[in-house]
Amino acid sequence: MLKNVYNWIDERLDITPIWRDVADHEVPEHVNPAHHFSAFVYCFGGLTFFITVIQILSGMFLTMYYVPDIINAYASVEFLQTKVAFGQIVRGMHHWGASLVIVMMFLHTMRVFFTGSYKAPREMNWVVGMLIFFVMLGLGLTGYLLPWDNKAYFATKVTLEIANSVPWLGPIIKELLQGGTIVGAETLTRFFAIHVFFLPAVLLALLVGHFIMIRRQGISGPL
Amino acid sequence: MAHGFKPDEKVVFVGDSRVKKGTGFITPPDYTAYPGKSEAFIPNFLLKEWMVGVVVLVGFLVLTISEPAPLGYPADPGASVIPMPDWYFLFLYEYLKLPYASGDYVVLGTLGVSGVAFGALLLAPFLDTGKERRFYKRPIASTLMFLSLAAVVYLTNSAWTHYAHELEKSGMKPEHIQREEEAHEKHLQGLPTSNAKQPEENEIAIVDQQNPAMEIYKKSSCINCHAADMKGQGNAPTLRGVGDKLEKDEIADIIANGRGQMPPQKDAVSAEEIDQLAGWLASQKAAE
Amino acid sequence: MNHNHNDEHEESHKPPRRTEMSRRQFLTYTLGGATAYMAAGVVIPMVRFAVDPILQKGETGDFVKVVESSKITAEPQEFDFELKQQDGWYNSTAQLTAWIRKADDGTIIALSPICKHLGCLVGWNNNESHVNEFYCPCHGARYTPDGKNLAVAPKPLDMYTVKEDGGWIYLGEIIPNTVVN
Repeated sequence: MLKNVYNWIDERLDITPIWRDVADHEVPEHVNPAHHFSAFVYCFGGLTFFITVIQILSGMFLTMYYVPDIINAYASVEFLQTKVAFGQIVRGMHHWGASLVIVMMFLHTMRVFFTGSYKAPREMNWVVGMLIFFVMLGLGLTGYLLPWDNKAYFATKVTLEIANSVPWLGPIIKELLQGGTIVGAETLTRFFAIHVFFLPAVLLALLVGHFIMIRRQGISGPL
Repeated sequence: MAHGFKPDEKVVFVGDSRVKKGTGFITPPDYTAYPGKSEAFIPNFLLKEWMVGVVVLVGFLVLTISEPAPLGYPADPGASVIPMPDWYFLFLYEYLKLPYASGDYVVLGTLGVSGVAFGALLLAPFLDTGKERRFYKRPIASTLMFLSLAAVVYLTNSAWTHYAHELEKSGMKPEHIQREEEAHEKHLQGLPTSNAKQPEENEIAIVDQQNPAMEIYKKSSCINCHAADMKGQGNAPTLRGVGDKLEKDEIADIIANGRGQMPPQKDAVSAEEIDQLAGWLASQKAAE
Repeated sequence: MNHNHNDEHEESHKPPRRTEMSRRQFLTYTLGGATAYMAAGVVIPMVRFAVDPILQKGETGDFVKVVESSKITAEPQEFDFELKQQDGWYNSTAQLTAWIRKADDGTIIALSPICKHLGCLVGWNNNESHVNEFYCPCHGARYTPDGKNLAVAPKPLDMYTVKEDGGWIYLGEIIPNTVVN
């Protein structure tokens, strides 16, 4: 039945080459942890992606309850965490996942660095990877404010002061991020928009580039 | 003029059906030059990778179940809190305290050193251009990375130590721990545990709903304008708490003779009923 | 003129160049122009929308009655006061704090407790090792009673504009410190 459906679509759209491009390739032995246990270091990239998927999904579900509004933000987070079934786990996934994704990405970056895998011809992929790293840090920074508790509020004030100390443009950057003259209602909505729409869009574009380059260039050789 | 066929001219029509079909953007790389046996990504290799994923997910779920995500008290600009960024920003936070990254040198600190460090990281492949890949054969790049890692670990640790020290000195607990303990205590006492600010309860309750006058209210046309919950609608005012504003006689007069847009009711409601209604409405006072 | 003439002379040796646009060039430019117009038309309103807060004129705040002049001593004291403020759609009263002291020459100095390093709140005499100084618990920034920065912070503490009227101190907007340096 499923096969018939697949064939019906394939006859019309010729989709086989598409998934072959994505999935049909060989993996060399030196990255295979079944052959060399030390090759587990090559798993960190995949794990980063796995946690990123968890982040995107849990984030999507959190917005079912969360309100980006200074009066209700805290109440909605408290509600979803304490009153909604599995709320503690879903928010926990998003909170701890944010840390875990940084850890995994850090380990992945170190693996690439110390195996020298960023060398020609893979320079561009390293640059894209670093941009992903910066976007992830940006996501961590903007997401930190959203529960609108004291820790979030004061840490964000500090962050904005750091932005403010940039010469010339500092005050403009600060006010642009802050959306006004104080950290308040407009800051929260801005950070929400950046956290939920702008940065994820950039992240997805960079991830697509990252993966296409990996598949085009193949895995770097053994040392 | 230039319409003649030129065999040596290379013409590419982008986005044109005349472009010849390529062989695909991604050709599977050939790993035969690498030592050992390669294997298919799906299903052989992916299965192994997902074994690792399964182990990680188990650990992750255990963490999320056993350790709730921290939440402090609602943001209050006047609160006295020691601000702490998330742990992965601690090294930057601590670094900005150093004498050469603060004070008169704050620009050097924020833009100069961190700008150079992150810029170098971003452009590493263009700085470390040698052919050699092993880290011990790239002493400069590796040393710089090891030094940066050591600095990050050191700075993170001293930021945390400083924070713990400040907490101890000021006798404060991190807010999320304090909130959790408080919530636990309140829970044991059966009190509400929420810290969210609720909108103030200023709704006035209906007094004595069992009074037979309520039946009169419902049966007569009062309900059409003043609504079943007595909160009024449109131009008809709320009747909750009306006893605070009007005496019984005044109310009876309004019912009988109408006021503003309210038509007189003395033909529709008997004098006895008006008396009952007015008495009941006069008792509608906001709770103290 | 002679120079120009030479140039023309040299040019005449080159193969003739077409001066008008080719059909393909024209189409490319038109396509590019239309693309630029569509992109700009879509994005400009959004960009103006996003940067609106930095183009808003800041309102100069009114003075707020804070404390009786007689209560001010040479030692900085903490006073809280309320300021009505508008934050986008949200009108609120901000709880502000000022550290007020009387300088030796009798002028009233009201300092904002927001640390000029990274925006934490400083306190007076809250660290045993730094007596009679403002101290910031975040990064250990220190200030003199007049707000002069001693360590870590790049600038002295900001101050409120002060007005004295009828035995009361009124505080206005926050301005950079003018008493020190």
